[in-house]
Amino acid sequence: MSEEEKRQFEGYPKYAPGTHVRDKHIYNKEITYTWWEPEVQYSWSLGPAMSRFLQELKAGKIIGKKCNTCDRVIVPPRMFCEYCYNPTGEWVYLKDTGTVETFSISYLDPDARRIEEPILIGVISIDGAAPKHGFMHYFGEMKPEELKIGMRVKAVWKPENERTGSITDIKYFRPLRGDEE
Amino acid sequence: MKKQVAVIGAGMTLFRRKLKETGKELSFLATKMAMEEAGIQKDEIDMVVMGSAPDAFDGIHMKGENLLDGAAAVGKPYVRVFNGGGTGVFAPIAGWWHVASGVADVCLVVCEEKMGSCYPHPQTAFRHIWDPILDRPLNPNLVWLFAMEMNRYMTVHNIKKEDIALVAVKNKRNAVGHPCAQLADPNITVEDVLNSEVMAWPVQRLDISPPSDGASALIFCSEDVVHKFTDDPIWVAGVGWNIDSTMWTNRDLYFPRYVANAAKMAYKMAGITNPPKEIDFAEPYDPFDYKELHHMEGLLLCKKGEAPILTREGVTQRDGDLPICPSGGLLGVGNPIAATMGQKVCELYWQLAGKAGKRQIPGDPRVGVGQAWGDIMQMATVMILKR
Amino acid sequence: MTFTEKQTDPTSPMHWRGDMQADYLYPSGIAGDKFFKHLKEHDSFLATKCSKCGKILFPPRLYCEDCFEEIPESNWIEVPASGTVKLFTVATINAHGKKLEEPKVIGLINIDNTDGCLLGIIKTTDYGKDFIGVKVKAVLKPQNEREGTLKDVLYFEEY
Repeated sequence: MSEEEKRQFEGYPKYAPGTHVRDKHIYNKEITYTWWEPEVQYSWSLGPAMSRFLQELKAGKIIGKKCNTCDRVIVPPRMFCEYCYNPTGEWVYLKDTGTVETFSISYLDPDARRIEEPILIGVISIDGAAPKHGFMHYFGEMKPEELKIGMRVKAVWKPENERTGSITDIKYFRPLRGDEE
Repeated sequence: MKKQVAVIGAGMTLFRRKLKETGKELSFLATKMAMEEAGIQKDEIDMVVMGSAPDAFDGIHMKGENLLDGAAAVGKPYVRVFNGGGTGVFAPIAGWWHVASGVADVCLVVCEEKMGSCYPHPQTAFRHIWDPILDRPLNPNLVWLFAMEMNRYMTVHNIKKEDIALVAVKNKRNAVGHPCAQLADPNITVEDVLNSEVMAWPVQRLDISPPSDGASALIFCSEDVVHKFTDDPIWVAGVGWNIDSTMWTNRDLYFPRYVANAAKMAYKMAGITNPPKEIDFAEPYDPFDYKELHHMEGLLLCKKGEAPILTREGVTQRDGDLPICPSGGLLGVGNPIAATMGQKVCELYWQLAGKAGKRQIPGDPRVGVGQAWGDIMQMATVMILKR
Repeated sequence: MTFTEKQTDPTSPMHWRGDMQADYLYPSGIAGDKFFKHLKEHDSFLATKCSKCGKILFPPRLYCEDCFEEIPESNWIEVPASGTVKLFTVATINAHGKKLEEPKVIGLINIDNTDGCLLGIIKTTDYGKDFIGVKVKAVLKPQNEREGTLKDVLYFEEY
């Protein structure tokens, strides 16, 4: 960087070192680079809490666990409470209905590519658990403009023979009809 | 007995989506600039702290060890710290520990990030922050998370998108005076932001800061040796850091209580009891426009829900009563995660020392607060500098 | 603190499988780009000399990490694509633990006229030989096939 270029901007930083390259420089091989595709595989331990949670999802149920010190039923369940730092107590079956806490209407897929039909995603607090306790999931059987915070929803499950013990055993949450409350 | 710690030099590289330099070279360029400003040689630096967020962006495992050559750290005590987006202010906090504890007289802090190396998009690496069992099977995109938090914040306080878009306009215009800026735009309007494509409602393209490559550096020294470098030091008045639970689906996202906890810790150390009156300007973390408002409230600079009103009234402009992000923030200058120290702490230093040139806040700013935020809506790091 | 349950059912789910899905493009950098572009056109390497300490740095870099001085354009020098083996090992299994069909000799080669080394495969059939001190030269890809990465160096062999 020449002294002239350095004095271009008043104040600090006095200059901005760095060389901008664009995608075209890469496609045209104007700069050299090394390409690498890592092959990394994982096998994560579920632990007793997640293990039971997924087993129950396979059976078509949502289960939580109670922290007796804080007097809250936690979902997703865990073996210890991160607030009072005690082991949690008994398992508690919860309903498969809940309330929309927040949501988003996404026009991006997981790799940040654009999609035409939006994905409806949000956080649902589950009935029977402590207030505001729930998990993230899709919404379905509704138009994007119908989705509102505070809306009452119910889980739509995969058929029993298609469930594998995964969060995706629930297909999505749909609006709860008045007569189902 | 804690030592008083002063900042004596800072440096930053260009921030762009992709830079030709390797991570080491970027660290070198930023460090060299800071050393030139401080008037210091490599052997006068006692210890080095490197701040760099996930290895998965640069694609180099243990990248702290890879970058140290460029951070003047060969043969020195060295540590790499990292807490996601909070690293931009956490690395200087770690640098402060080194000097305040008395184990080092001079500590260099370098932050670097190369997000351009990750293909097809840094989002692909970012995705691994999601819980593998509960969240990843749903194939989430990280923007969804911010969209959900933005939605919650807007709904609880009944905020319109127009008021949030004002932040993007302010910061991208503020960045015009910054030589490193990636997205400075003197002509951007609220309409431009509201007409930009919807990524994950309510987040639109111009609401988000871009991924970037870049590096920044900062040099701290103790009260015992500061006279060798300057007669008018800028001091670290307070530091704070705090983290909340990973179980983000069990929290109400409308208010970042972990930011308030970190801010209280820093204000206590600095002896500040009335932040809105005693803080002259602030650099809260603004990877999204709504985050600046969210963090202003978290930093207790205004009441909950008041931040958009202050923005609308022009209070947060550079010439307002409480300038926010005079550097142009992440929305204007760029977002190389850890290297945002350049806008969050280096900017506080340059403003307080009167060296910010075209970005200088009028009047006589004496106290500034910088903040960073990271992980899954969890980590807050706060630093207060004063003259 | 101990948990209130033990895992006693061996059939209940224990693990969740997954992988890391990201690919990487590493630009060679300012110094690296110069080095690889030179290698594309010539059968020799480049190195950089630090004016302060006099070390001839290889692989070449923008700055000397000991002196922390930037290295000017004028301090880039051409060096032969050959050197002396400083250290070596004979690998019999690959990165995933499977047995290799042919053992591989991997050497750390001190490049001639520099203070630095390059890691390279030494082509040989004599797997019991002591390669320390042996002079080797790089065998490069044909010039029109070179891509500007370290793969342009196919292997080293004795001469």
